[in-house]
Amino acid sequence: MYFLGVDIGSLTVKVVLLGGDGKILASGVNRAGYRGQEAAGALVSTILADQGIPSTEIAYTVATGYGRVTFVGTGGTCAPLTPVMASEEISEISCQARGVYHLFPGARTIIDIGGQDSKAIRLAASGRVVDFAMNDKCAAGTGRFLEVMAQALEVDIQDLGDLSLRGTNKVNISSTCTVFAESETISHLARGADRADIAAGLHEAIASRVLGMASRVGLEPQVVLTGGVAMNRGVAKALEAKCGQAIVIPPHPQITGALGAALLARERWERSSSGHWPGD
Amino acid sequence: MTEKRYKKLKCAEDLTRLVERHYAKARYFRFGQPLAWVTSGAPVELLRAMDVFPVYPENYGALCGARGEAVALCQAAEAQGYSGDLCSYARSSLGMMSQGKKAPLGGLPRPNLLVCCNNICGTVLKWYEAASRFYDTPLFVLDTPFIHDQLTEYSIQYVAAQLQELVRFVQKHTGRRLNQNKLKEIISYSNQATALWQEIRELCRARPSPLNAPDLFVNMAPIVVLRSTKEAVGFYRQLHAEVQERVQRGIGAIPQERYRLVWDNIAIWYRLYRFYSYFVDRGACFVADTYTGGWAMQLQAGEPFECLARTYTSVFLNQSLEYRGQLLLDLIQHFSADGFVMHSNRSCKPYSLGQYDVMRQVSQRCRVPGVIIEADMCDSRVYSEEQVKTRIQAFMETLDAAG
Repeated sequence: MYFLGVDIGSLTVKVVLLGGDGKILASGVNRAGYRGQEAAGALVSTILADQGIPSTEIAYTVATGYGRVTFVGTGGTCAPLTPVMASEEISEISCQARGVYHLFPGARTIIDIGGQDSKAIRLAASGRVVDFAMNDKCAAGTGRFLEVMAQALEVDIQDLGDLSLRGTNKVNISSTCTVFAESETISHLARGADRADIAAGLHEAIASRVLGMASRVGLEPQVVLTGGVAMNRGVAKALEAKCGQAIVIPPHPQITGALGAALLARERWERSSSGHWPGD
Repeated sequence: MTEKRYKKLKCAEDLTRLVERHYAKARYFRFGQPLAWVTSGAPVELLRAMDVFPVYPENYGALCGARGEAVALCQAAEAQGYSGDLCSYARSSLGMMSQGKKAPLGGLPRPNLLVCCNNICGTVLKWYEAASRFYDTPLFVLDTPFIHDQLTEYSIQYVAAQLQELVRFVQKHTGRRLNQNKLKEIISYSNQATALWQEIRELCRARPSPLNAPDLFVNMAPIVVLRSTKEAVGFYRQLHAEVQERVQRGIGAIPQERYRLVWDNIAIWYRLYRFYSYFVDRGACFVADTYTGGWAMQLQAGEPFECLARTYTSVFLNQSLEYRGQLLLDLIQHFSADGFVMHSNRSCKPYSLGQYDVMRQVSQRCRVPGVIIEADMCDSRVYSEEQVKTRIQAFMETLDAAG
């Protein structure tokens, strides 16, 4: 018996497969493209095929992320698999909280920066969500912001963080709007500013925007940074420098939401078969 | 779909008729009675006692918002140069002015007077000045000092003196005199209507609650636009009887009440039913709110000018954040609520600014979770469905986990 967590975000889809004992058997990340649900279905199929697990062995699936509502794993091109339906959809707040708390029981604050949204979650010692805040009507300070800036600086997105760490004379980026920040970047470049210095300025701009939101829920230690942007060392460093606290990053920061979804899938299944919550 | 989640009240048609009659009267059947545009916190008792007919541009904005017609009016105002950051009630009415009778509902009738009171916000000052220039109509500004701590005696005297001046202003421009006996009668209607409205709200302490937020928002119209009239008293008597019957028969506003919530701020008019249905689907009913209670204030006995000054200066938006936090906390406890939802309303700065502080203050003192939803009361362009749904879902999951 197995459990699936499927996180369909704006830029990427993430899948985590748990065994009956709750151990992570496999996980995967793929581009969402314009059909996130199909990309997720294909990723599920690949993972199940790799593991040699028929989809009928999946006891419970939880979908999360912006594409959660309509997720019906189609099995993609792997025809032998029957469709994997989401048994339930749960918000990414609850899933992130569950996934991070599983990895770091000492976590009290989660900062999650994804492709188009960022959020801050405060946890109680029990792992329960006490409060959360999400970015407003704007995607500045998210993964998409970094992608646009990497393009403007003609740097590979993977190298942007390292580039920023080489900056010695940070350039001030004042605009909080992605499009205007790009124009600002271009005019700095035209004036001959160093790319590394601009990159450092951009990372600081992200850090101050994200911290502005995170301080609404408070920044109680331990602070854990997740989401695709957590793989960028420059953002974590800029956040640490700005808030004066150590920030912990999970080994695979992109999949914590899917992990939480898979863990919740297992709990939901146990509850439905035994009539009570595990740990009640 | 949404109809099933919303249990219609029997007196809904009477309400529609009442509001329609009010607007028809304002336009066609005043027979020379002077007409004033007034803000929602204006002391209308004085105006009615001087035979002035009041209409509320804010109510017009809400009606246009609910009909999905406010955005076009806002755009018309923006085309004239008004900022998109300006209140959407103000933009709706400024946009309507430029469209004349082509505006939704035929627009508001041209005012003979403008009476503006800053107890609800500062935007009304410039908004009414613009209307005054547009119609070349005299404007009276009633200044109610903000209450940081306690309402002071000199504030009451200051406002009462302005009310005397208001009487002279109305007399000068309309030739109508204040009839003291009529004023007493009108204050009595005001008090009867507000008492009934307060009692109706109190009935929502019952489990399950007989009313949900959309009921409160829809049925508040008479307490604003027809307060101090016999018609409002009659309507609220009828509503009270119906709500009481629901309580006696154990009928709830929603199919299954699992959670009781308190709402803060003005309604999201263009999504009134759909927005709350997301909560209804998860068994959550809004049993009270900070907004519609704003008009449940009784006028105390005594010298009428001082009573009016005291009441209209004390409206909740004219008071400190500590007061507002206490108000929300009292509602949560009084109505046995499990959580609260705050609408961060882009339009209404005085209401929305400081909500994070109020939320922290309340959560710390009663350990009841709350969530802030970003939207606007009339301008649907700033409403983002997916983000709103995610926040609601996450909040309801938090309640599930806490329960």
